Amino acid sequence: MTKDFEPKIVAFLCKWCSSAGSDLAGVSRMKYPPNVVPITVMCSGSVSPLYIFNAFQKGADGVLVSGCHPGDCHYIKGNFYARRRIALVKELLDFIGLEPERFKMSWVSAAEGTKYTEIIKDFVKDLKPLGPQKKLRRDL
Amino acid sequence: MVDIEKLRKEAKKILKEGKVKYIIGYTKSSQNFSASPVFITKPEDTSRLIWNPTCVQNLVKFIVDDKQKQCKEKEPDERPIGIMVKGCDSRAINVLIQEKFIDREDVYLLGVSCEELGVLDEKKIAKKLKGGKIEKVDFDKKKNIIISTKDGEVKIPIKEVLAERCLECRANFPVIYDTLYGEKVEREVKEPFKSLNQIESQSFKKRWNFWAEQLDRCIRCYACRSICPMCYCDECVADSINYAVTPETTAEEKAQKIQWIERSPDLSENIGYHLIRAIHLAGRCIDCGECERACPVDIPLRLLNKKLEKAAHELFDYDVGFDHEKPSLISSFKDEDPEDFIR
Amino acid sequence: MEKILTKKEFPTWIKNLESYHVFGPVKKETIWEYEKIKDPEKLDLNFPNTALSPKKIFFPQREVILDFNKNNKGEPEINESLPEKKPVVIFGVRSCDAKALTLTDHVFKEDPDDKYYLRRRNQTTIVGLTCNEPPSKNCFCTSLDGSPHSKEGMDILMTELEDKYYIEAITDKGKELIEKAKDVSKNPSEKDKDELKKVHKASEKKIKRQIKGLSKITDKLKNMFDSSLWDEESMSCLKCGICTYLCPTCHCFDISDEVTSSSPLKGQRVRTWDTCQFPYFTMHSSGHNPRPDKASRLRQRILHKFYYFVDNYGDYQCTGCGRCISKCPVDIDIIEVLEKVKDYE
Repeated sequence: MTKDFEPKIVAFLCKWCSSAGSDLAGVSRMKYPPNVVPITVMCSGSVSPLYIFNAFQKGADGVLVSGCHPGDCHYIKGNFYARRRIALVKELLDFIGLEPERFKMSWVSAAEGTKYTEIIKDFVKDLKPLGPQKKLRRDL
Repeated sequence: MVDIEKLRKEAKKILKEGKVKYIIGYTKSSQNFSASPVFITKPEDTSRLIWNPTCVQNLVKFIVDDKQKQCKEKEPDERPIGIMVKGCDSRAINVLIQEKFIDREDVYLLGVSCEELGVLDEKKIAKKLKGGKIEKVDFDKKKNIIISTKDGEVKIPIKEVLAERCLECRANFPVIYDTLYGEKVEREVKEPFKSLNQIESQSFKKRWNFWAEQLDRCIRCYACRSICPMCYCDECVADSINYAVTPETTAEEKAQKIQWIERSPDLSENIGYHLIRAIHLAGRCIDCGECERACPVDIPLRLLNKKLEKAAHELFDYDVGFDHEKPSLISSFKDEDPEDFIR
Repeated sequence: MEKILTKKEFPTWIKNLESYHVFGPVKKETIWEYEKIKDPEKLDLNFPNTALSPKKIFFPQREVILDFNKNNKGEPEINESLPEKKPVVIFGVRSCDAKALTLTDHVFKEDPDDKYYLRRRNQTTIVGLTCNEPPSKNCFCTSLDGSPHSKEGMDILMTELEDKYYIEAITDKGKELIEKAKDVSKNPSEKDKDELKKVHKASEKKIKRQIKGLSKITDKLKNMFDSSLWDEESMSCLKCGICTYLCPTCHCFDISDEVTSSSPLKGQRVRTWDTCQFPYFTMHSSGHNPRPDKASRLRQRILHKFYYFVDNYGDYQCTGCGRCISKCPVDIDIIEVLEKVKDYE
């Protein structure tokens, strides 16, 4: 039996809320799995489907997109656009057969450090039984 | 019944009056079974225009091509263009107007209604003929298609060889036109997204196996992109090699341009290309089926776009191309947009 | 050397070819493609013609030319990547596709010779298949010094006679391959030989489309660079590139570097197909494009095939397979264009 599989999660976190929320989790010394590669973006609305696809292609086992709660976006409307766009990306990835547990979206505010850790904990728990992501990964 | 003579007369009239610089329509192909696109510049030539269920092509792409050409000309010829549009094609025009790629005055639309029928699917006919080669195609008054092959004649009801997309079509008559030929026959479509059912009923594993097998065949000829009227970007983000450069572009800029999708046609890159193209067409694809028809290795491409059309319809109550005053799908949002997938 | 092999025993011949990689046409829903055969039953010789010609076996869509990586001293390391050394057999190659290989040979053998293509070419045995019926109504091989039973470019020619195949060896490589069917094949009878002649003669008559006077067309083309014919004929071109991707003689390619992993830094230099029909094919790094419009690109295609290639190598760069005509989404017909060139004043 090989060592326990540790999934690698790529998280696109919006600078004003979710990234700050993850910082709060860190500063408060909350314990949560180290499987996340956080990427700070200015707004969840700026997350292009290309980033998501590219993350899977480079071998990410799970991708998380996280932004401000509706109504709290620093750029007023960015997260509303993200809500629509990510819904479409999710539908398409489901359609081609990528496991739905691999792609998640969340609203995490700058004060929700705990929520962030819960999200990551649950994400890692969901990904472990699925094993490494081989479908979209480019293996040469 | 579409009165083709009336259409020809109108075409002749607008050419004579100089209302349009030329007319794009369908004419009989000399070799192939489906109609050919034709560009009519002389009023006498309008007798070449035809209309029947073999008029498969989406002619709106030529409007896009012309617009792109005129942008580069020193003295652009910006007169309107006359064009024959079916129901689906008229929605393409609406999307182009919605995106401000063309103005309403740039086109003169000769709308033709498919009435109860639609267009034929060459592959379905080939299956029925079991390998026999089509020599001639005729239509009778009872909505049958009569195909002459070497071994004789075969009569098939048109409904059995209609394209899949026609069976689900909710826009079988033009929604925007200058003159309309044929009647607006309301068709009840019981299952508007039926072609997706087979895949959606399968497990995720089966779905993946299906798409991996199909997209593995892709040779990245980009015919699907070249033929799609909505793919009008000069620089396609999915084709990192074709970035336009000017004499002012520095070497550093050229070296650092991100290649999102490589040129190599391996499975991962092919999936990337098709998924990104599908997302970029979300809320813009009008299901003309040209991508699938053009594909030389027969990949069922329209299913990817149809899935997003279904998502747009069911989740956001958005239907593509019916109203060019409405904002586009991804540049708008509603407060009631579903959030159940978001934690 | 000529032999008869029944259709029933054909899979046995393939089973005896373990030392070869065997390729042949395999049905994929609605089209046929050349694939590596593991199960001899999957090889389907009952096919019109494949969607893509066998040139993709010698000149693959993606060819790795070299691998590069950064070693632990931080220095770049480059490793050449050549095709695997193992003999290959391709079954079911039509005469037009086999002849096309002799044309692409001209290009890849020229100095500097292309070792990727040539290694594959030299280790491959081509087993052709006569077209008893023309695969497409757009076939016109007979107009280009070819025929449905031409042996040019092949090592073996198989002809289907009812429930058996008549196998003719053309080269020593072909003889070697037929040796592997020794136990299941027998010598042809006089009746078989007569039948073969009949089938071959009949196949030629079935090619309906013709284009005559090609040398006159080549001469005309020499003066047609600025003609307005190209504008008229290319009006409906969508620059999709299908004609060139499916063409068995087209050979343009692009080379790009791909980084496959950033840590440790690894990458590959790959060669992929390209086409003169894409607008940016001739884009210079200065931004100037000598072929910016469809007319110039259609002109390039016709002139290259029927004038420049003749000048360079003495052959037309077309074998009449008809794929470009059948698959063009807007019915641009190369035969029609050539007829118009012939009649052009």
